[in-house]
Amino acid sequence: MDKKLHAVSPESGLNSNLDLTPQLAQFSSAFLFEPKNIVPFETALGWQKNFQKSLIAKPFSPQAVWLLEHFSCYTIGRGGDKNNLLFEENKSPVPVFRIERGGEVTHHMPGQIVGYLAFNLSLHKKDLYWYLRELEEVLIDVLDLLGIEGKRVDGLTGVWCADKKVGSIGIGCKRWITQHGFSLNVNCDLIGFEKIIPCGLDKVKLGKLSDWIPGIKVCDVKPLLRESVKRRFKLNWENI
Amino acid sequence: MATHDIFMPALSSTMTEGKIVEWLKNPGDKVERGESVLVVESDKADMDVESFHDGFLASVLMPAGSSAPVGETIGLIVETADEIAAAQANAPSAPSQSVGEENKSSSTQIKEQKDTVDSSKTTVVNKEPISPSVLESSVNQPQFLNDGRVVASPRAKKLASQMGVDLATVRGSGPHGRIQAEDVQSAKGQPISVPWIAESNAPAKVVSDIPRIEKKPVDLDKPPAAGKSFGSRGETIAFNTLQQAVNRNMEESLNTPCFRVGYSILTDELDSFYKQVKPKGVTMTALLAKAVGLTLARHPQVNAAFTSEGIAYPSQINVAVAVAMEDGGLITPVLQNAEETSLSELSLQWADLVKRARNKQLEPQEYSSGTFTLSNLGMFGVDRFDAILPPGTGAILAVGASLPKVVASKDGSISIKKQMQVNLTADHRVIYGADGALFLKDLAYLIERNPYSLSS
Repeated sequence: MDKKLHAVSPESGLNSNLDLTPQLAQFSSAFLFEPKNIVPFETALGWQKNFQKSLIAKPFSPQAVWLLEHFSCYTIGRGGDKNNLLFEENKSPVPVFRIERGGEVTHHMPGQIVGYLAFNLSLHKKDLYWYLRELEEVLIDVLDLLGIEGKRVDGLTGVWCADKKVGSIGIGCKRWITQHGFSLNVNCDLIGFEKIIPCGLDKVKLGKLSDWIPGIKVCDVKPLLRESVKRRFKLNWENI
Repeated sequence: MATHDIFMPALSSTMTEGKIVEWLKNPGDKVERGESVLVVESDKADMDVESFHDGFLASVLMPAGSSAPVGETIGLIVETADEIAAAQANAPSAPSQSVGEENKSSSTQIKEQKDTVDSSKTTVVNKEPISPSVLESSVNQPQFLNDGRVVASPRAKKLASQMGVDLATVRGSGPHGRIQAEDVQSAKGQPISVPWIAESNAPAKVVSDIPRIEKKPVDLDKPPAAGKSFGSRGETIAFNTLQQAVNRNMEESLNTPCFRVGYSILTDELDSFYKQVKPKGVTMTALLAKAVGLTLARHPQVNAAFTSEGIAYPSQINVAVAVAMEDGGLITPVLQNAEETSLSELSLQWADLVKRARNKQLEPQEYSSGTFTLSNLGMFGVDRFDAILPPGTGAILAVGASLPKVVASKDGSISIKKQMQVNLTADHRVIYGADGALFLKDLAYLIERNPYSLSS
């Protein structure tokens, strides 16, 4: 290779910031749904699908955020590897769903807050890597408020405390309208993770916030998450 | 026939390639505008890719499970059912097949995979360690270490998963111990191949410079390495997507009636001008592109291209320059409006384009909008060659090395001058012999007599 090529530093060139996506909206609006009861996975999936459909039809109508808990279940992304399920899919004690998001298998159960976000990224930034990093920031901000140091691991998606993964992220997108989102382990029973290779990561250790703050409950964390999402994505909550 | 390409979309401004998770339609299926045709995954994000046209999915060029660079054509949509067969015939054979066969025939050579893949799994490519398709799927696999942190460049991660190197065992040489691609290669005991780019500086280089480019010490006991290869002896390596694209273009060029016309250009003046502007960061590529651009401005016929409607005269003069990629294939980043862009601006743009080409981050219009192509092998000491015309353009100029020659002038005196041979390949439907000759004559005049005008 010709070293002369670098006589002019490419970094100082035109490409230092190629992202010209306009920040269309300072504030966009969204409905916030926080069901009191535990929600079956397929019910919430239906809500999301309907919402995504209507946002595709009317891209500038209000977006939506759900913060909820699921009954125990496993979900796998469309590209997910079934070998990460350490049991036979049809003999699973709890339901297994193959869903339209990226990533490998994960586990939901009571005591874990699941956040679903139906956003029109055209109003934010049309960049899915940016969106994944922002979702991580949402969780890291919440951990920070709780006095726990959350961090990401380079090359992976999710949020870790020390060496334990507490937050998982997986999203799907159509015409820049998102679905799915994140999950944060609060005080759940992690035993179900032993039956899978979470996120396809062989040696990953799972953690929950109650490991750091004994006695913490979902209802303590939800308000922080709600605010964190609102702040990070510059949302106004619509009146329901 | 109206054929519409489906491209690998950019899910992010920093995404270079994506994995095809699933084709939601089969070849032959009817698709409506706005209907999802396939799903692409990158990182933990899935994106539905929609058709922009009503019609039929004629061909799937990249099977589910494989990865493709952003902007790559991965499928074809035609408007009527009658066109399906024709589009399929024109499309390259589905890579899935060749990969599958390859997989069987060379199964003994396949390195053991950490995770055994269930035989019921439909994505054949997951077993193929050399296929680019494995990369995305294995990127998410255990790089997670005891201390919970591996810092490595994306390319290093990719290489590591390709070569079966555990990043935990690799010592990083980058900033803060970041693992670079070279670290992975040296960990595997492979020679470090610095990306070789056909950067044009022909007149400045002579044959003796070659070892510098080769980067490999010549061992006198062994026969000298004849060059690089993408596979080992006895292997058959599937074409990567870029190579496939080049193959398609090269085959298509057989339908073009081409002719060649050559010229020897004296470069002593250009060299001395280059020496003056080099400290300002001006590269030889910029000089040649500008010289070609200025000459094209006076010879619009040579900037034109054949279309079924007639001769198309582009609104811009965009000089594409061929660049060889280290992992196979080549790409032609484009210097737009070369005739009216300053040398330093062209140099900057070129450095940026090459850098991003190497990272596979070019937008399609940055490598497909050329109206004239420049190909330079001068840095290897090649004295002359002829190039294949890229489809959609009228001409390509092959540039050889600038070498000292004994030159006789009209008055009979003999002197030693540096001479560079250039060879124009042109589509005779658009550009005739006289057009090509006059273009070369003017280009030679500019380079021999008036290189200083390039800085204007």
